[in-house]
Amino acid sequence: MSETAMSDRSPRPLVEIRDLRMHFPIHAGVLRRRVGAVRAVDGVSFDIHEGETLGLVGESGCGKSTCGRAILRLYDITSGSIRIEGDEIGTLGQDALRPRRPRMQMVFQDPQASLNPRMTVARIIGEPLDEHTTLSRAEKRDRIYELMDAVGLNRNFANRYPHQFSGGQRQRIGIARALALNPKFIVCDEPIAALDVSIQAQVVNLLEDLQDRFGLTYLFISHDLSMVRHIADRVAVMYLGRVVELAPRDSLYGAPLHPYTQALLSAVPEPDPDLEASRRHIILKGDVPSPANPPEGCNFCTRCPQAMPICHRIDPEMREPRPGHFAACHLHDPDHIPTAGSTAANDQPQQGE
Amino acid sequence: MRAKHALLGAAAALALAPAAFAERGSDGQVNIIYWQGPSTMNPYLSGGIKELEAASLSLEPLARYDPDGNMVPFLAETVPTLENGGVSEDLKSVTWKIKPGLLWSDGTPVTSADVRFTWQYCTAEGGGCSQSEKYNDVADVETPDELTAIVRFSVPKPYPYGPFVGNQAPILQAAQFADCLGPKAPGCTSANFMPVGTGPFIVTDFRPNDVIALKANEHYRDPEKPAFSTVNFKGGGDAMAAGRSVLETGEYDFAWNLQLAPEVLDQMAAAGKGEVEVAFGTLVERIMVNFTDPDPKWGERRATADHPHPFLTDKAVRQALSMAIDRDLLTEIGYGQAGRTTCNVLAAPEIYASEANEGCLVQDIEGAKALLDQAGWVPGPDGVRQKDGMRLSMLFQSSTNAVRQDFQALIKQWWSEIGVESELRNVDASVFFGGDPGSPDTFQKFYADVEMYANSFDGTDPEAYMANWECKQAPRPETQWQGNNMPRYCNAAYDALVAEMAKTGKMDERIALAKKMNDILMQDYVILPLVHRGRVSARATSLGGFVMNAWDSELWNAADWYRVK
Amino acid sequence: MFTYTIRRLLIAIPTLLVISLIIFLVVTLAPSDPTANLPLSIPSEVRAQMREALGLNEPILVRYLLWLRQFFLYEPLHMLDQAFGLSLAGEDMQRILSWQTRSPVADLIVQRLPQTLWVVGTSYVVGVLIALPIGIASAYRQYSWFDQIGTFVSMVGFSVPTFFTGVLLIVIFSVHLGWFPSIYDTTLRVTDLSTFWLQIKQMIMPVAVLALYNAAQISRFMRASMLDNLNQDYVRTARAKGMTERVVVLLHVLRNSMIPVVTVIALGVPTVFGGAIITEQVFKVNGIGQLLIIAIQGGDVPTVQTLTFIFAVLIVLFNLIADVLYGLLDPRIRYD
Repeated sequence: MSETAMSDRSPRPLVEIRDLRMHFPIHAGVLRRRVGAVRAVDGVSFDIHEGETLGLVGESGCGKSTCGRAILRLYDITSGSIRIEGDEIGTLGQDALRPRRPRMQMVFQDPQASLNPRMTVARIIGEPLDEHTTLSRAEKRDRIYELMDAVGLNRNFANRYPHQFSGGQRQRIGIARALALNPKFIVCDEPIAALDVSIQAQVVNLLEDLQDRFGLTYLFISHDLSMVRHIADRVAVMYLGRVVELAPRDSLYGAPLHPYTQALLSAVPEPDPDLEASRRHIILKGDVPSPANPPEGCNFCTRCPQAMPICHRIDPEMREPRPGHFAACHLHDPDHIPTAGSTAANDQPQQGE
Repeated sequence: MRAKHALLGAAAALALAPAAFAERGSDGQVNIIYWQGPSTMNPYLSGGIKELEAASLSLEPLARYDPDGNMVPFLAETVPTLENGGVSEDLKSVTWKIKPGLLWSDGTPVTSADVRFTWQYCTAEGGGCSQSEKYNDVADVETPDELTAIVRFSVPKPYPYGPFVGNQAPILQAAQFADCLGPKAPGCTSANFMPVGTGPFIVTDFRPNDVIALKANEHYRDPEKPAFSTVNFKGGGDAMAAGRSVLETGEYDFAWNLQLAPEVLDQMAAAGKGEVEVAFGTLVERIMVNFTDPDPKWGERRATADHPHPFLTDKAVRQALSMAIDRDLLTEIGYGQAGRTTCNVLAAPEIYASEANEGCLVQDIEGAKALLDQAGWVPGPDGVRQKDGMRLSMLFQSSTNAVRQDFQALIKQWWSEIGVESELRNVDASVFFGGDPGSPDTFQKFYADVEMYANSFDGTDPEAYMANWECKQAPRPETQWQGNNMPRYCNAAYDALVAEMAKTGKMDERIALAKKMNDILMQDYVILPLVHRGRVSARATSLGGFVMNAWDSELWNAADWYRVK
Repeated sequence: MFTYTIRRLLIAIPTLLVISLIIFLVVTLAPSDPTANLPLSIPSEVRAQMREALGLNEPILVRYLLWLRQFFLYEPLHMLDQAFGLSLAGEDMQRILSWQTRSPVADLIVQRLPQTLWVVGTSYVVGVLIALPIGIASAYRQYSWFDQIGTFVSMVGFSVPTFFTGVLLIVIFSVHLGWFPSIYDTTLRVTDLSTFWLQIKQMIMPVAVLALYNAAQISRFMRASMLDNLNQDYVRTARAKGMTERVVVLLHVLRNSMIPVVTVIALGVPTVFGGAIITEQVFKVNGIGQLLIIAIQGGDVPTVQTLTFIFAVLIVLFNLIADVLYGLLDPRIRYD
């Protein structure tokens, strides 16, 4: 696919990911020899434009968190290219990366575990300032207060420890910490999954609010499709280490092209009971294959309700059946269309009810 | 004139001194290691051998025993005897003369008052004096003048050398211990740890069970001695490490009591830094035969004379048990050069050792079998001999100790060859020898058929030792199970000899009596002696003047030690 | 924290009283006799007198109460007297006397403490100092060669008994090479460089033996605790913040990993005072451990009772200290 295949706007994207692979070796035996690899991320490409929010969804274990961490180079990636503002960071060493870290930050899923229990809020937020700025003590303090204000934390709590806060407050600390160095790009790795439902909306609203104020770009990783629908501009769907569909929000939610996306969306509850009753659910059979040993052909072929013989042989390429709407599925391959008129798969009755 | 006299004396002393031009304190430090550290310097409060030995560096008796078991005067001028008139004809008093001019290490003179005080100290009520037996029957100690002490006994004492003789009964300084009588004795810590003495060395620092620092006594009676200026007396560790420090690393000059496997000791000595010293005292490893029935069915009266043993009362059985034993092999395996075979329970001193029982030295399995056959004990279907439904099956007990368990296993094998079955049992030494009347496992209770242990006697006189096997000495409920006659042997002829010895003062007659008693015990197979055990110590080759002594403290002549240049 | 500490101390009092009674009963009812080790030539009547002089004829309860009074009243008074030259203790206030040495047990302990603290204490410090870097490095490079070797050495240090390593060292360094003395001199006073050097020489082997043993234990703890923390999210956060690896490992991971390790180290301190029975015997250090074992062998009830009770007090105390430290180090823990 071409360099600009998945970008639909003309200015250069803020983040460009090409064919990113993150394989974790498996060691076994007495001598701990390498016997294989878990292909957590296996050839992922997409762009994120400045100021937008890209939602990354998928079942747990599909590699979306690994993907987020790999993009921020919290891992040494196996192969591929990561460009941020045109700057290739995929191959940089950790020492060369360090000065670039302020531009890209992360908000973690578990606010409890991701905050050092032996540091006060002020130190947690202020630590990156020590490392990356030359601010004076007073300036740092002001910056910490500013950030606390920005995320809605009481300044008086600056000297408290993380365990003294509620989950929502802790996530605010995590966000304040991420903001400390004025990043342009933030990976939000399931930032609300560990929170109470009542708090989730608050945190999401805060993130949106901060995006407007500071012009942030988000990669929003979540398994919660309705929350992604709320916050994301575009959405990428991952399955077993690959992106299977990538589209603007409305296009994806309105007319998903990939059978996997269709199945995922059919599982989202509908708030309207009448509509909910009339909806059809697609129940996927079988388990997700092991990422250490993915199936031949299309990764999804073992569970796909519409699998064809070709799916078991050839890995489908990413195509753009609609402008800006990409999918990797033989159903949308002009050379392999099985039967006429079945492209609008979501209109067809599927198994299940 | 006086100067000339002194000069002559000095010349004589020089000629006698083994280290030609020795001078007090000229040879630096001597290092002694006892793997069991002494806990006090007062032998009257402990009784342990390690304490007696340590104390012998500072405290001295009126007379000691030399390596041959002969008495030599130390603080006394001569040893009083019947012949020189020092012992009265009625055997009830002994007159000791102290050497004139003797000084304590604090510079005050040694007088007969100190001698008298020592007796009072050890016999004071509530003091728990461990050597009080030495002062048995002493009615009084008279002090007609400063240098004369007359010990008066309430009964005739044919061997009157208990009080003030040997390393168990040294003289204490009256001035130092005056306030330490009876229950106050343990409270006098500084006196107990740092006694004023007459010996060659005095304590400068005492750390119980750890280390004793001593220095030459500047008031010691021989102005040339001791050659060493200080003593480092270290305690603790184990016999192996102590032996190593003398024989292999050469850090120490003398290591005491190396109860080690013979081959280990030989290997260490091969390093060439020191020599193994052995001396034989009276310690004999033996098997005691129970003449009474230990069967639990007799309840309170088990193992008493009320119930004679069903088969060990048969002399043929006892003799067969003795004949089946290979004493040479036991000695070689268990003790090496630290042991020698013996057929006598009274194996030393030399003059008392009988030669009438040497037959036991050769193992005779066939003879033992024939003897049992003759006596009517015939092998049963399981190979164990029996007669009238009574099987020769025994319980054989001993204290827990690697060598003893080896011995038990060997002996069990030999006995099974002659058709005697035995079950082995071993009891922790502190229980076995503990003497607790409430415990069923003591060697006095003897709830077994045969038992093995070692015993010895103090000094050189066997009178009290041989009296152990008097009828009345049998442990039984009436005596709270105390007493030394473990076999519960009861023989009127033997008791008569004991009584006779108690009133015989002439040495040759005493010797004849002791031998006769020994022979009765041996030829009646009451006690089966196995090994005459010696004391083993190690001495660095650079330590001169050392003379091993089994009859007194091994440090008895520390004043004569010197450094070989 | 303060009220918690006070409360814990108050609870400790009945606990310790019960412990003291149990120790007393165990020590007293055990079949041991202080005169058992005497030569057989000392007759039983004399032994009986000796036992009586030791107070063994009194009923058990009376002896226990006497010991309690001596330990909690007489001994402190005597100590005050010695420290400030007072005379609070009356004539009849007999101190706890050892049955073997007939001297005050407290004096024996004071005499034994220096060498025990020097040797066992140094080995503990050395052990900890070795263990921490090894534990950190093996966790940071888990399954590397360094880690594998560290695991092997720990296993050896942990499973090979000190009487073996001790004797091995003696045979090599004292017997064959003659570098170090095989027997520790407790009377050595360090006054100048040469005596200091002598002291170092005689301490090297026992300290090495014990330090290996201690380091083996603590380095495993350190490693496990580091591994627990290295995979925590906050470590990833710290890396994401762009902190240097040094800061990440030493500040974030190490400080959190030290919490349980410090507790383990604090809980091990009483064993320093308890001495090292076997190693002290092997090298003739003659410290508290050797005092205890000699007292046990000799049936010296007052010494055994007093020593074990002091150990009990130290263990209770250091448990409390460990808990308080835990609270101080880990802000998540509050005791109020």
